[in-house]
Amino acid sequence: MTTERPGADEPDSGEPDETTAPDPASNGARRSKTRLAARGLGHGFGDGTVLEDISLAVEPGEILAVVGPSGTGKTTLFRLLAMFERPDEGTVEVGGDDVWGLPEARRLAVRRRVGMAFQTRSLFSTTVEENVSYGLRVRRSWSARVRDAVEGLFGREEPSETVEDALRTVGMFDKVGRDAGSLSAGEAQRVAIARALAPDPDVLLLDEPTSNLDPRNTAAIESAMRAARDRGIAVALATHDMQQARRVSDRTAVILGGTCIESGPTDEVFESPDDDRVRQFVEGKLVY
Amino acid sequence: MFALGDLNLTYLVSITAVSLYVSTAAVALSAALGLPISLAVGFRDFYGKSVVTSVISTGMGFPSVVVGLVVLLALSRSGPLGTFELLFTPEAMILSQTILALPVLVSVSLSAVQSVPQDLRDAAFAAGGTSTDVALLVVREARYGIVTALLAAYGRAISEVGSVLIVGGNIVFSDSTSFTRTLTTAITVEARKGNIETGIALGAILLALVLGVNALGARFRDRTPGRNGRGR
Repeated sequence: MTTERPGADEPDSGEPDETTAPDPASNGARRSKTRLAARGLGHGFGDGTVLEDISLAVEPGEILAVVGPSGTGKTTLFRLLAMFERPDEGTVEVGGDDVWGLPEARRLAVRRRVGMAFQTRSLFSTTVEENVSYGLRVRRSWSARVRDAVEGLFGREEPSETVEDALRTVGMFDKVGRDAGSLSAGEAQRVAIARALAPDPDVLLLDEPTSNLDPRNTAAIESAMRAARDRGIAVALATHDMQQARRVSDRTAVILGGTCIESGPTDEVFESPDDDRVRQFVEGKLVY
Repeated sequence: MFALGDLNLTYLVSITAVSLYVSTAAVALSAALGLPISLAVGFRDFYGKSVVTSVISTGMGFPSVVVGLVVLLALSRSGPLGTFELLFTPEAMILSQTILALPVLVSVSLSAVQSVPQDLRDAAFAAGGTSTDVALLVVREARYGIVTALLAAYGRAISEVGSVLIVGGNIVFSDSTSFTRTLTTAITVEARKGNIETGIALGAILLALVLGVNALGARFRDRTPGRNGRGR
């Protein structure tokens, strides 16, 4: 059973679905951002249930940490939120729309308001710049893409302001022309986050983005999360690092055994958890 | 005038040109047919997929004389494709070489497509890509393997003897220009006549052609960004 506090994750909070935030791609112009919510999500593979009755929401301009031990279903939850597949039960809502109830073309438009970076290395075999601009390119018309490709044959253009802004956010602009294959794991993860940020998403999903990274790269990624929040982006972070959740998040949802057992403001969840399992987990006494 | 044994420049240029034309056309046709097959098989899980991939792999070992015989029957006057009157033409040779090169190209490119990590497909999808964008990304990521597939198919086609002899007829006009004689079939003629030196000279030209094509492919692969290792 989920324990919820005032300000906890609640899809029916009645809050307005949108807020405004500066748009990094338009030099300070403000663009509406929206919230992402899961309502009663359940999912499984084969005969096994991975997630059961999960409801949570991430609002514009906040960081929600989804914490729980490895193997508890965080990645499955984030893949459902990123619309990789349809949940067996429940709904995923972006700006109040049930995404799986939308026609395919509209669902694509909604999906493009959600960016995601993964735990594993996922850079394409090309330059840093082309990796970061990928999301921008696929949003262009085919004729524009062909024109860009032809122009590319006659010389390399300077990175766009949007790409530059995204790379500066993660502190990687000095590597803009490098081959992605030559980057360290931490640098590659920062570029992957820049790729997710470049199209100026409403929602940013980060699945264990700093696991196995050194402190310098971890700090850079945490800084990028805060920058995204300050731009009004709704940031959801899956992590099993409790200290990181405490450092960066505004609210925390604790998932154990595929169920959200407690959620609320981070300080309250950590300092005075209602659920005894959460208390043991945050104190490092609950081992799964 | 240049001459090596019975060879003259006209003869040499024309058999080289026929070899290049037939092999290049066959590989282009194989690529047009084979790459979509590789993507379709590589992208989807379906019942009997392992059987399909086994059949494709088996195709790499097709005996060329058997393929030549089947194409001969198909193109003969009484065969199903007899009305096109293609027998003993370069186009008949292109057909038989396509049949021989296609399984090589599909098998190697399928392996390349399947080796693109699922993580990269997910990343393309998460960045807002459609299924077409993801497919293009996979082709781009697999380009090293696809070039290798093209080179392997080219090697299979240009070194072919048995089927092109059967369906091409090894025809040379009286002015020494080749109609369906290739470098490989010319070598068999020279060997039969006992002109070993001439055969070796033709073999050297054939090897130089294969080397040149592979060098072009290697140049393309070496210029590919993002191949400098996975981490520092």
